[in-house]
Amino acid sequence: MSAAGGARSGRAGGAVRVPDARVGDVRVALHQVRYEQKAYWRNPMAAIFTFLFPIVFLVVVGTSAGASRVPGYTLRYDQYVVVAMLTFGLIAACYTNLAMTVCTRRETGVLKRMRGTPIAIGSYLAGLIGSVLIVVAILTVLVVAIGMAFYHLHFPYHPGAVLVTLLVGIVTFCSLGLAVTVLVPNADAAPAIVNGLYFPVVFISGVFYPLAQGSVLARIADVFPIFHMIRALVSAFEGGPGSGLRVGDLLVMLAWAVGALMVTSRRFRWEPRRPKA
Amino acid sequence: MDPATDRDADVAVSVRGLTKSYGTFRALDGIDLQVRRGEVLALLGPNGAGKTTAVEILEGYRARDGGTVSVLGYDPARRDRALRARMGIVLQECAVDPYLTVAEALTQRSYLYGSPRPVDEVVGLVGLEAKAGSRVKVLSGGQQRRLDLGLALIGNPELIFLDEPTTGFDPSARREAWEVVRDLCAEGRTVLLTTHYMDEAQALADSVVVLAGGRVVASGPPDTLGGRDHGVSTVRFVLPDGVSPADLPLPAGLAAEVRAGSVEFTVAEPTAVLHELTRWALDRGEGLVGLSVSRPSLEDVYLQLTGGEDAP
Repeated sequence: MSAAGGARSGRAGGAVRVPDARVGDVRVALHQVRYEQKAYWRNPMAAIFTFLFPIVFLVVVGTSAGASRVPGYTLRYDQYVVVAMLTFGLIAACYTNLAMTVCTRRETGVLKRMRGTPIAIGSYLAGLIGSVLIVVAILTVLVVAIGMAFYHLHFPYHPGAVLVTLLVGIVTFCSLGLAVTVLVPNADAAPAIVNGLYFPVVFISGVFYPLAQGSVLARIADVFPIFHMIRALVSAFEGGPGSGLRVGDLLVMLAWAVGALMVTSRRFRWEPRRPKA
Repeated sequence: MDPATDRDADVAVSVRGLTKSYGTFRALDGIDLQVRRGEVLALLGPNGAGKTTAVEILEGYRARDGGTVSVLGYDPARRDRALRARMGIVLQECAVDPYLTVAEALTQRSYLYGSPRPVDEVVGLVGLEAKAGSRVKVLSGGQQRRLDLGLALIGNPELIFLDEPTTGFDPSARREAWEVVRDLCAEGRTVLLTTHYMDEAQALADSVVVLAGGRVVASGPPDTLGGRDHGVSTVRFVLPDGVSPADLPLPAGLAAEVRAGSVEFTVAEPTAVLHELTRWALDRGEGLVGLSVSRPSLEDVYLQLTGGEDAP
């Protein structure tokens, strides 16, 4: 092994061997995305719960939804369901998937192992989130295509606004997915805590049926980001004057993202919580 | 610490007065140790002695409370990427994504290093040729452990940390793992391993450091540890029929005990006594049945040093 011998005898410090240029980190991140994707599609739990579920819900709820207009929107009920399911899918791919992946890896020691290698934390995170982006992109195309084919959905009147809203959604729900790992004490508790926290919010936020405007539920849902994501996305799909962007809704989502990132940066754990002598 | 202080070319790891407490529990109470380049150093000690704490401080996972630590010239607490690029780490828990194959896991890891070893070469080194295309989750515990070792070697490290690398291995898997460690050593790499197997330390280590209660209780080459080479020898043989211990030609002051028909005594320098004994036996026209002369094993010394807690 001449390389090892050279490093031992010749170089001082050995910094030469680290791919520490920015280009190196980007290349590493791209490789990470590739392997994150392989691992994602081979993991039946991830693929079923975060990818297949939203599609199945869309078909089940969409088929039973009528063609009547949703109060307060110009979309019909079946069109609304498509947009709501797109939101649900994005949350599953970002929040649920990221939270479960990080918890599993932390509890099994994969994160700890990673910290023992020269990888930049940024490259590792970029690999995880890049993989999430691919899943969201596929899911978006699929849900919109199904919606257009079967549920009378128009191609969005404001595609730019759809894209911006999806990006803000990705930032928000990835941040929340990382933040929730702080609350998970061990691997067994992960599904209960991760799902238990967001499922009630999904139900009161109008994912499966539109909220009655001004109702108590609507006022509670107003606090959380899911309702705002649906409203912003519906607005971007609806034909109407202006850009279709609902800045107020996006700002509420971003406020959640900032809070989540603050919690994450202070309390994130790389190792299982375990007293060790 | 400036990496340029990597001057002492002979020393890979140097630790002085290292302390670490968890609450009121003093896990490390001022330990000193030195690992020379190209050697295998074994950290021995009962559970809770502080082995893993010490190693994880060297690996950069834990902050120390006091003392100085230098690993390849770096302070590991600063977590320099340049240092991590030159180390390989095997932790106690096996940690690999279950959905990748052996070859994929190694390839993914190899991208993180500037001059990685070829994946095929590492697969061969850890004996996983037949499993290169298998997903990690279908591997046996021992095979996962070997992959873990492979992941630590893929970056072509100068210094390798192995935390209880053969725990749970069957005897032949242990022998194979020992061969891998010997090969690493032959390539000039430095290995720091923790173990509670005495035979592992005896077979692999150039030097041994025994930890107990957060302190170094002994250190040195395994053959001389704790005065093993100067220790008394135990002589044992079957007492011939019709002979009482008093008839044996033993020097005055040497107390022989008879246990289950065997004579046993300890003596600092056995040559002269054995000479007398064997001549006496030959004169009587019989041999000394079951004659053995033994020095304290590493295990005897270890148990004595650590007060016999958590005997392996």
